[in-house]
Amino acid sequence: MNAGKYIKNIFVGIYRLCQGMYITMLNFCRPKITEQYPENRGKKIYGERFRGLLTMPHDSENHHKCIACGICMNNCPNGTIKVITRMEKDETTGRDRKVLDRYIYNLGSCIFCGLCTRSCPQQAIEWSNNFEHSVFDPGKLIKQLNREGSSLAPKKTE
Amino acid sequence: MWSFSQLTDWIDRSLHSVMGDGWALTVEFILIGVAILVAYAVLALFLIYAERKICAFFQCRIGPNRVGKWGIFQSVADMIKILLKELIRIDNSDKFLFRAAAFFVIIGSICTFGAIPFAKGLHAIDFNVGVFYLTAVSSLGVVGILLAGWSSNSKYTMIGAMRSGAQLISYEISAGLSLMTIVILSGTMQLSEIVEQQGQAWFIFKGGLPAVIAFITYLIAGHAETNRGPFDQPEAESELTAGYHTEYSGIQFGFFYLAEYLNAFIIAAIATTMFLGGWQPLHIPGWEGFNRIMDYIPSVIWFFGKTCFCIFLAFWVRWSFPRLRIDQLLSFEWKILMPICLINLILMSVYVIL
Amino acid sequence: MTETTDKTIQAPEYAETERVDGRTVFTVPAERLHDAARYLRDVAGCDFLIDIVGMDWGDSLGAFYHMSPTDRPAEVITLKTATTDRETPHLESVCDVWEVAQTYEREVHDFFGIVFTGNPDMRRLFLRESWQGYPLRKDYDADPALNPLHKESEPLSDMDVVPYFTLEDGRLVGHMRQMYEEDEYIVNFGPQHPAMHGVLHLRVSLDGEVIRSVDPNLGYIHRGIEKMCESYAYPQILHLTERLDYLSGNINRHAFCLCCEKALQIEAPQRAVYVRTIMDELTRIASHLLGWGSMCMDMGSITAFVYGMRDREKVMDIFEDTAGGRLMTSYYTIGGLASDIHPDFCRKVKEFIPYMRKMLREHHMLFTGNPIAAGRMKKTGRLTLDDAISLGATGPSGRASGWSNDIRKIAPYAAYDKVDFEVPMRTGGDTFDRYMVRLDEIEQSLRIIEQLIDNIPEGPYAEKMRPIIKLPEGEYFQRVENARGQFGVHISSRGDKTPYRVKFRSPCLPLVGALKHITPGSKVADLIMIGGSLDYVIPCMDR
Repeated sequence: MNAGKYIKNIFVGIYRLCQGMYITMLNFCRPKITEQYPENRGKKIYGERFRGLLTMPHDSENHHKCIACGICMNNCPNGTIKVITRMEKDETTGRDRKVLDRYIYNLGSCIFCGLCTRSCPQQAIEWSNNFEHSVFDPGKLIKQLNREGSSLAPKKTE
Repeated sequence: MWSFSQLTDWIDRSLHSVMGDGWALTVEFILIGVAILVAYAVLALFLIYAERKICAFFQCRIGPNRVGKWGIFQSVADMIKILLKELIRIDNSDKFLFRAAAFFVIIGSICTFGAIPFAKGLHAIDFNVGVFYLTAVSSLGVVGILLAGWSSNSKYTMIGAMRSGAQLISYEISAGLSLMTIVILSGTMQLSEIVEQQGQAWFIFKGGLPAVIAFITYLIAGHAETNRGPFDQPEAESELTAGYHTEYSGIQFGFFYLAEYLNAFIIAAIATTMFLGGWQPLHIPGWEGFNRIMDYIPSVIWFFGKTCFCIFLAFWVRWSFPRLRIDQLLSFEWKILMPICLINLILMSVYVIL
Repeated sequence: MTETTDKTIQAPEYAETERVDGRTVFTVPAERLHDAARYLRDVAGCDFLIDIVGMDWGDSLGAFYHMSPTDRPAEVITLKTATTDRETPHLESVCDVWEVAQTYEREVHDFFGIVFTGNPDMRRLFLRESWQGYPLRKDYDADPALNPLHKESEPLSDMDVVPYFTLEDGRLVGHMRQMYEEDEYIVNFGPQHPAMHGVLHLRVSLDGEVIRSVDPNLGYIHRGIEKMCESYAYPQILHLTERLDYLSGNINRHAFCLCCEKALQIEAPQRAVYVRTIMDELTRIASHLLGWGSMCMDMGSITAFVYGMRDREKVMDIFEDTAGGRLMTSYYTIGGLASDIHPDFCRKVKEFIPYMRKMLREHHMLFTGNPIAAGRMKKTGRLTLDDAISLGATGPSGRASGWSNDIRKIAPYAAYDKVDFEVPMRTGGDTFDRYMVRLDEIEQSLRIIEQLIDNIPEGPYAEKMRPIIKLPEGEYFQRVENARGQFGVHISSRGDKTPYRVKFRSPCLPLVGALKHITPGSKVADLIMIGGSLDYVIPCMDR
């Protein structure tokens, strides 16, 4: 190796190393990006469409919109949803009809693909942003989404 | 400037007044030993915390922030955890050497630690061949690393140990040569004498360009000797998982961990002693008022301040650069660093003669 | 893509020729397979074997060999062959024609039990040697009692004995050879190892610090996705595509959507096309940032990794806003998008572009110029152009060797024909070139996004689809440019609501073959770095 190139290489190397150290020092002085989790709980740190947990919204009179058609159940790739129905007499028509008994959702096997909410013809289920799912007992991951005593919302008369 | 020798003399006198010479000496030895061990542990805990915090800041993170305010008790909590952990027995390992290795590493660094002049009058071992002693004892660690790698009966540790052997022995040459330039400048190997001589101007200023070069080469070589930063070949976690201490657990791993940080401290402390004036305050010839103000700052703060600066430099380098490959590492030493050191040695000799 | 014609390729006389789905398909008898492969490689110039798709047609077993000539890269030529022998099915290996075939043939052997005579390594690729049955055969018995779950640790002895087969007088003869000599120093890298990006197991034979050979042992994260696809409806398969190469999940999903749309002969609305293109490029940026960061970390620079992750987080936030997911976005559907873009989408993307440019400059200053990094990367792990083509190393890894193989340019899909961008190319083929190509691609992706973000057309975001999607009978093959190379989807449909067979062309599987090819002779520290520069994702190759 010729001596000039050797010495030049050393100086170029030192300059480049200093450049790298300048970048790290720049970041040393920059504001930090760490999110501090339990403290920032109130703040909205996730997007509003974030798929956290499947929920079934109920209105103030404990009505939901699920007509127990089972499309979500058939669409789910993992068999996460079980729609259990019962027959009930309709007060207005007097005929028997299928209503939702229990809407069982197994959070443990859910992959949050969103096929259920997208395919639901009634928009009866939707995603909430809740992401704090950890429990000690895996049995608790199997959730019933419809509330006790809830019923299908009556059709709005127009 | 207040000297710690007043305190140590007082302890010495009071011990002699209550017991015989032999006993007094024994008690003093024990006291010094305990003091060094305590300082060793506390410093290591502090350094681990500092490293984690500084590293986090370089990486745009906050770092430990849960145990105590700003996480200052994080390393204490880690220490407790590491003490509680099980010591895993490795099948087919050489049990005796496996255990002994951790002690070799830690003894090497404690012995070096004792020889450092921390402040005015705070100096446990002061040989007339102090520099010689430092380089000799600090290289004891490599024995521990080689033993650890060999006795664990694992391929990762074996490769790590062999790398470290090659690396430490090579870089010791540069470290030694860099220290030698200062020995030429000062004409002595006694650490206390070297520090005394820097009362008016630190060697890095007094020695001109050769001293600056020696300072940088010493920092690089010393950094390599501590197996840190871009030179962490022996424990290159991306290929060797943890290198020579892969198989260690609990407090045995803790020993390696402590020794690593203390070695970083020791390298910084030696650099401070040899180049940055040790515990001597910053004096600028001619600025009498300034010099007097500087004298009011206690010597121990001067020492630790300068050492922390050197350690910060080491952390900065460590968290900026990628790791060298083993052949790059060795060619850097033998083709670049050592020639520079040798030329620098001649430069310094010329400088001193002139 | 459909208008490309290949009049130049003269069919051999023993082959039946047909045009399917814009491809030329040559059907050859099993005994002329090797001749046909040789002919197509040497005379017709098809030097890039895209994929081998094993098939079980019920009465016969066989394979599709998708290939492409590198001088007419938009063309896809398919070689189809079948054997009616279901007991000891065997075909002649083409691994002397295309090197990458060695891995693909092992895969076909693993899933269909077809033995390739002349392939020197006929171990199973993903499943254990003791696995009963061949899972992708239609008569496979999935009884768990046949293949019980092992809970105790087992020695890896079955990886040491390599079976291979030869044909002697028309009879299949099995042979065994030992993988390693008695005193070789073999170090296991993975499946649990800090620098293996996932659960890849490399068995490395070392000579001191120097590597003698590398034997990748795959299948630790094999989930049987192709088998699962056969029982899923098309919209359900979409979420599996994201779980292949999770770092370019959007692009994989895009490939499957495009393939289904092509089969259904529908087109997604322009708005969806534009948004898909933008999302794809954002995915590419995110993937390259992570690839850059993890490669830096493989070389010991952990800080760079954190910087890469920090910048990637911005992209993830954009995804989360619009799609509701960060890594698994579940955003594209067959016929469009799952939802319209978020009102903040354009603003956030526009903020991201200058930020990323600035950070890219910093990344270059921090790492590219660093003499340690450059010294390690330059001249190591050199992949020559011929090897890259023969090994099928597509994507940035192939482009660093000077092989122009970007599907976005050669057979534009989505909105890539409407934008002006360059394909970063280098010719050295070493680790540094692969590294640089990735960073340059980030810049080009930003350019693409910049041109599209202001021009997203108004209109519907999805085509109205029937609830149950049935693909018309046929074979469909679609390639897209994923962050790692050419990702291909082969769907074989019989008109049901579930596909008959789905094959994903993983860009990562050939990259491991390339790793095996280029690492011998370099240092053990380089193995990790070269692996990082090839930037493979394990779930993508294991499927």
